[in-house]
Amino acid sequence: MPLRNADVMKFLAVWEMVHEMADEGMKASIERGKTTEKGEMASDPSAFVDGLAAIIDEKKDKIKTELIEGRDAEFDKDDSATARAVEEVRFEVAELRGRLETMSTTLDAIAAKL
Amino acid sequence: MSAKSKRRRQILWVATKHWWAAAAKAKFGFVSVTERREIFAREMRYSFEELGPAFIKLGQLISIRPDMFPPQYVFEMEHLRDNVRPTPFEDMKALIESDFGRPIDELFDDIETEPIGSASIAQVYKAKLKFDYDQVIGDDMPAGTELAIKVIRPGSLAKIRADIAVVTPIVNFIHKFKAFKRFNTPQLLEEFSESITSECDLRIEGRTSDQFAFDFRDDPYVMTPAIVWPLTSRNVLTMQYVKGWHLDQSEEATANGVDARFLAIYGADVFMKQVMVIGRFHADMHQSNLLLTPDGKICYIDFGIMGEVKEEHKEAIAQILAATVYADAKRAILYSADIGLVVGDDERKEVIAKVSALMKRTFSKSPRDVRGFAIGFLSILNEQRVVVPRGFGLLVKALVVVEGCAQTVYDDIDIVEAAEQFTTELVLKHMMRPARLYKKLPLAIDAAINELIG
Repeated sequence: MPLRNADVMKFLAVWEMVHEMADEGMKASIERGKTTEKGEMASDPSAFVDGLAAIIDEKKDKIKTELIEGRDAEFDKDDSATARAVEEVRFEVAELRGRLETMSTTLDAIAAKL
Repeated sequence: MSAKSKRRRQILWVATKHWWAAAAKAKFGFVSVTERREIFAREMRYSFEELGPAFIKLGQLISIRPDMFPPQYVFEMEHLRDNVRPTPFEDMKALIESDFGRPIDELFDDIETEPIGSASIAQVYKAKLKFDYDQVIGDDMPAGTELAIKVIRPGSLAKIRADIAVVTPIVNFIHKFKAFKRFNTPQLLEEFSESITSECDLRIEGRTSDQFAFDFRDDPYVMTPAIVWPLTSRNVLTMQYVKGWHLDQSEEATANGVDARFLAIYGADVFMKQVMVIGRFHADMHQSNLLLTPDGKICYIDFGIMGEVKEEHKEAIAQILAATVYADAKRAILYSADIGLVVGDDERKEVIAKVSALMKRTFSKSPRDVRGFAIGFLSILNEQRVVVPRGFGLLVKALVVVEGCAQTVYDDIDIVEAAEQFTTELVLKHMMRPARLYKKLPLAIDAAINELIG
């Protein structure tokens, strides 16, 4: 039993160490990415990874700000397929109204000529 | 002599005159192929300008068909200029009154009799709205709102159709010659006839404009003029008049507090969004169709020519653009096959090497030269007799136009650089799609296991 506990503890410690290393690696990559000039991402694979890390970090900060402000725009946009469908239908109806208005104008013009 | 025969004679005379001029300038073939094509393309443009609206429109069609014509012709046609004298206001007024069955004073307030814009098939006038209008997209438009009224010149479609009828036998005759066969001129003429008929129905343009406004309804930096449908017909398009500066007036816009540089770069992102997210793009985005507004937006006008991207092609296009951004010729050619640009096995190696060298040449300097790359790329495909799908050609051309627009504002703008973040994010989004992951993950795990135990 104690042996098993020790194994679990060791596994968790290794797990934490991996995370810590990954975290430090990611932070360092973000820092490098932030100093990468635009257009330099294409220069080599590590510059690409650093640039990408900086882009992801920027996105993370944006989401964080939105969450703090009580907005959840990124997720709202992705999740609200129904709202999007409703908006599209509303647009189609409005567009149809536009067509009817033009048609009515044309009919009026024809009537005026009769 | 009938009017038709007279016009045919005139067309043949102008075409022959410019052909001889081109042949002489090209020293009867003793210059390079590229130079020869440039000279002939320029003379062809001069002849189109001389022959009037139908040919100007035909030239505009050639300018968006790099799949059919060598790049020198495609890019030369961008410089076509309308030299058409404006139609008198009285004629335009008669057409408006006939279309609506009412006197013009009952339709508009304060209509100006001098056109604010004049092109080969339409003229634009300024006026004011007489009544409140609830527009299709956006807020209500109050009475007194300034309007721009686009009106088709009376008889212009009939004149163009008459010219098409005159040139059809000539085109069919030319098509019999081997040298002209690959341009497929009869098909081009048929397409031209269809596109001009649709362009002369301004209701179609109005609908496209509304659709564009809807597509970008959440974008704080993009706008289109609202359409006033009760004052719109086949020949008349009434829309909101948008005050602003054309791209070549960006200094004035900047002096008035508009961040023109930001908008020029943003315009490239808007184009990417149109192509890779929405699937419809404004394919006639030259300078005069864009405005920088005093409230810091880009206003898109004139939706006569639109391109479409099929849903299943979006990922391939994103991959091609990303490959172009990262100068990876092999990847660009690989994904091009997914949208119908198939390079044969025998030529692939040579094409990749040539495209790679071209990327080095055009993308190693700052800003990267997208136009130079596009001309070179299309020339390589042309030399290798690779069939370019229509949509692909239109897209390449539109990208070059986007670069031209951005660089009108600031000539150091690098649109590839501006597109870097957008395309990278989009490619990642496509790569992380659950369906793709489901397909790729077992392969990735297999590879990882092989690496670990191998």
